[in-house]
Amino acid sequence: MPELSLVQAVNLALAHEMAADERVLVLGEDVGVNGGVFRATDGLQQRFGPSRVIDTPLAELLIAGMSVGLAAEGFRPVAEIQFTGFIYPCLDQIVNHASRLRNRTRGRLSCPMVLRSPCGGGVHAPEHHSESPEAMFAHVPGLRLVIPSSPSAAYGLLLAAIRDPDPVIFLEPTRLYRAVKEEVSDDGAALPLDVCFTLRDGRDLTFVAWGAMTRDVVAAADALAADGVSAAVIDVATLKPLDMTTILSSVEKTGRCIIVHEAPLTAGYGAEIAARLAEHGLTSLLAPVQRVTGYDTVMPLPRLEGRYMPGKSRILAAARRAMEFA
Amino acid sequence: MKTLALPDLGEGLHEAEIVAWHVSIGDHVVADQPLVSVETEKAVVEIPAPWSGRIARLHGQPGDRVTTGSALVEYEETAASDTGTVVGALPKSEAGPSAPRPGSAGEPAPSGVKATPAVRALARKLGVELGAVAPSGPDGLVTRSDIERAARSLSEAGPPEPLRGVRRAMAGSMTRSHAEVVPATLTDEADVDVWPAGTDVTVRLVRAIVAACRAEPALNAWYDGKAVARRLHRKVDLAVAMDTGDGLFAPVLRHVEARDPADIRRGLEAMKRDVLARTVPLEELRGATITISNFGMLGGRHAALVVVPPQVAIIGAGRIAPRVTAIDGQPAVRRLLPLSLTFDHRAVTGGEAARFLAALVADLQQRE
Amino acid sequence: MPIWQGMRAAVTTIASFEITCRRFLDPEGRATGSLPAFARDPGALLPLYRSMVLTRIFDAKAISLQRTGRLGTYPSCLGQEAVGVGLASAMRPEDVLFPSYRDQPAQLWRGVSPVEILLYWGGDERGSDFAGPRRDFPISVPVGSQAPHAVGVALAMKLRGEPRVAVCCIGDGGTSKGDFYEAINLAGAMRLPAVFMVANNQWAISVPRAAQTGAQTLAQKAIAAGIPGEQVDGNDVIAVADAARRAVDAARAGAGAALIEALTYRLGDHTTVDDARRYREDSEVSRQWELEPIGRLRTYLVGMGAWTKAEEEQLLAECTAQVNAAVNAYLAMAPEPPTAMFDHLFEKLPVELAEQRQAVMAEDSDHA
Repeated sequence: MPELSLVQAVNLALAHEMAADERVLVLGEDVGVNGGVFRATDGLQQRFGPSRVIDTPLAELLIAGMSVGLAAEGFRPVAEIQFTGFIYPCLDQIVNHASRLRNRTRGRLSCPMVLRSPCGGGVHAPEHHSESPEAMFAHVPGLRLVIPSSPSAAYGLLLAAIRDPDPVIFLEPTRLYRAVKEEVSDDGAALPLDVCFTLRDGRDLTFVAWGAMTRDVVAAADALAADGVSAAVIDVATLKPLDMTTILSSVEKTGRCIIVHEAPLTAGYGAEIAARLAEHGLTSLLAPVQRVTGYDTVMPLPRLEGRYMPGKSRILAAARRAMEFA
Repeated sequence: MKTLALPDLGEGLHEAEIVAWHVSIGDHVVADQPLVSVETEKAVVEIPAPWSGRIARLHGQPGDRVTTGSALVEYEETAASDTGTVVGALPKSEAGPSAPRPGSAGEPAPSGVKATPAVRALARKLGVELGAVAPSGPDGLVTRSDIERAARSLSEAGPPEPLRGVRRAMAGSMTRSHAEVVPATLTDEADVDVWPAGTDVTVRLVRAIVAACRAEPALNAWYDGKAVARRLHRKVDLAVAMDTGDGLFAPVLRHVEARDPADIRRGLEAMKRDVLARTVPLEELRGATITISNFGMLGGRHAALVVVPPQVAIIGAGRIAPRVTAIDGQPAVRRLLPLSLTFDHRAVTGGEAARFLAALVADLQQRE
Repeated sequence: MPIWQGMRAAVTTIASFEITCRRFLDPEGRATGSLPAFARDPGALLPLYRSMVLTRIFDAKAISLQRTGRLGTYPSCLGQEAVGVGLASAMRPEDVLFPSYRDQPAQLWRGVSPVEILLYWGGDERGSDFAGPRRDFPISVPVGSQAPHAVGVALAMKLRGEPRVAVCCIGDGGTSKGDFYEAINLAGAMRLPAVFMVANNQWAISVPRAAQTGAQTLAQKAIAAGIPGEQVDGNDVIAVADAARRAVDAARAGAGAALIEALTYRLGDHTTVDDARRYREDSEVSRQWELEPIGRLRTYLVGMGAWTKAEEEQLLAECTAQVNAAVNAYLAMAPEPPTAMFDHLFEKLPVELAEQRQAVMAEDSDHA
């Protein structure tokens, strides 16, 4: 089985589903001839033609809005927004239309579109290319929000997203695009949406993370294991709708939870998980729920980027503090 | 003033006859509401209100002819009200709770035991009282291992014995006393060396208390903390603390100021019998004006005892024992009776207490 | 590519542009020249006339309902009846309409029922579940946001090689929006079967057309998109229908997109909660009334002997009855149960939301 990077896994999933379902279209800037600036759509136009892999003008709002139209007419558009730094013009079309079309027509029209975009920092990119906007989308009713943490997850979750009859925001961690390679089988098997994946089981503490931070958290869990602390790691994967059951079951066992995300602290998605833990898991908690996150500052330019992102030492410090609550 | 003129009813008709008004002067009408029916050559036509508003004038009576374009209805002048929006309807302001001004802090939280919910649940499950556990966690937090440790030592101590009956009542009344009373204690000793052998100590104490109450009535009183008022008693209803197998009783000897020693002795005997037999009626345990605890019968010298509200004083008599004391500047061994007077300083002054105690001592120091 | 002449200036001649504005009926209802073929038989214009009258009666009723508290905020289309009716009459059932929020004339022609329009503005989502034109989009509140949808649908039609057209309605204010520019740009770049009808009613709430853009016409924005653009007298339904037919037929035949600017006037307020007298003169409105579309067509039809007073009265009665029936049906409709908030968010309600839905059901039975 070939070992693929995350971006190659995305490419594989797109190719698979375009071959299986003629309704699937890919559109965006530079996705056709150029195969996408990250090569996520590499080779697709050559294989499926310019009617199915469409280079759009430079117009993010349009890309999102025309996807609504295409989806309403029965296509399955997979639109690419080149960087999440440029996703904001899409918010009007996503929030006011994509997420509401089924509801506001009482099911008469629907919007089975996927909007994919690379997110997160740690790639020494210029300004605005390292955004983590997931909390904004998490707050929108009628949307699904998915963030894969590995090549195999990207393959299976993207298939699921394309097949889903409702709009999905699919944020791909840029930092993981090429950093990791994994065996990915092109078997067309979708992973389930709306569930968290338990990457590690544990007795003493539960880490909750998504996207690129999942890997850092797994590394921290391994370091803790060497010190005799058994840490569970939960990869949220589908942030919305949230599978809280998996998280609660783990915290019931461990009594300690640390949520790790790159996005800024305040009103980040970790706050939602922490609130639900307080609401439904309070009597299991031995220690306060901690969030290890980016600071409430603008994501700095590359020189300071490493200090902004939650690194191993901050994660381990949080773990130590949690373990003080014996 | 907005005026509605008779509209052009079409078909070259120039006038119409008023058939019936549907509104009156002063009515508030809404747009579309029928105002008047008029008859033309062709038909009876209903004219609706073009605007909402209040009717000021109606031109014409039923039967009058009105020409097209002449005034038919006049509306009252109203100031054009600005809705202040282009969508929806914004509610007008109402008096409501205003945001707190900056700087007004809320009340500080009451301090309590710090423990996470899981630890609290564990404590409940193991029957450990959180307040009794020494916290070892950060910031004074009680941890899981603290609870487990406490549970272990509890299990070594055996199961807790719930207090019932008299013991339970004592726990309650002492707690209430502690919450209310402001106690102060004065002590002294009475030289009772001159007492003849066989002196009835309790009766002497009762007599001395009566004398002291006469000398200083402030200690034979009830104090109402809420009303901040005291009630001095003429009678002396003396509660006598008794230790039994079941616990502490304090039955009341009534009107001791009016009883002779033999009567008092009889009363004491009767009380003891009834208490031991648990046949003391409840009223006999209530309403004392002052209390004596003759703990000296068991041992001990001085004590700061507990004043039972609404009383304001309790006398403690310790064990009579020979002690070295000074007589005319020379050491001598005399039998001394230690006395403690605990009083509620909300109602009794130190001076009053001292005078009472002095009178008590003076009476006791008499030969008989 | 520029053709350099010497070192200095290079002129790239793309086009010299003129914007044609067409009209066939003047405000007095006289034909200004020979009419387009479809309009030569006055009988063929009757359906257009009937539809405009129905729309106006419906519109007035809707305002009246709002004034009497039975409808929410409502945007009147008074004066713009010819734009929508003319446009929609050029469409086929399988085409798709993308209305703004002031396109009741087009929607009613397309088979959206008056009940549905009332339901929507009355605050019930079922109003957008059109029983008639199943693929037409619901009205668009964020101004101009319907334009990208239109080109998305046009692209879908083109990819499938279907002989269908996407027809997008937008106002003068909407043409300032990025959505509009991005959409017409794509329509030109990809030669899409999309027709953009710009209903220039001269006002974007209180902002007059002159403040909206420096372009002398809105139609010329088409040039930047590389698509044909023309103006029509938007109050001449024949001119509107003529331009719409040409544009829609061309798009259907694969000629690509087009833009039509229909010059009209918003005779009513922006919405029922707006008061246009705050920002525009009554005298201007009065002058514009003389140009309104229904009267001029009636005059023409009557002049051609194709319409009589009796038919007018009958039409008014029929339309009024139809509108009243719709109002009654709308008023009789009970609101959906609150669980409807959940039932159409996704094809299948996620587990996470099932709890909330349950809670709403429980609350409901408490109230019941």
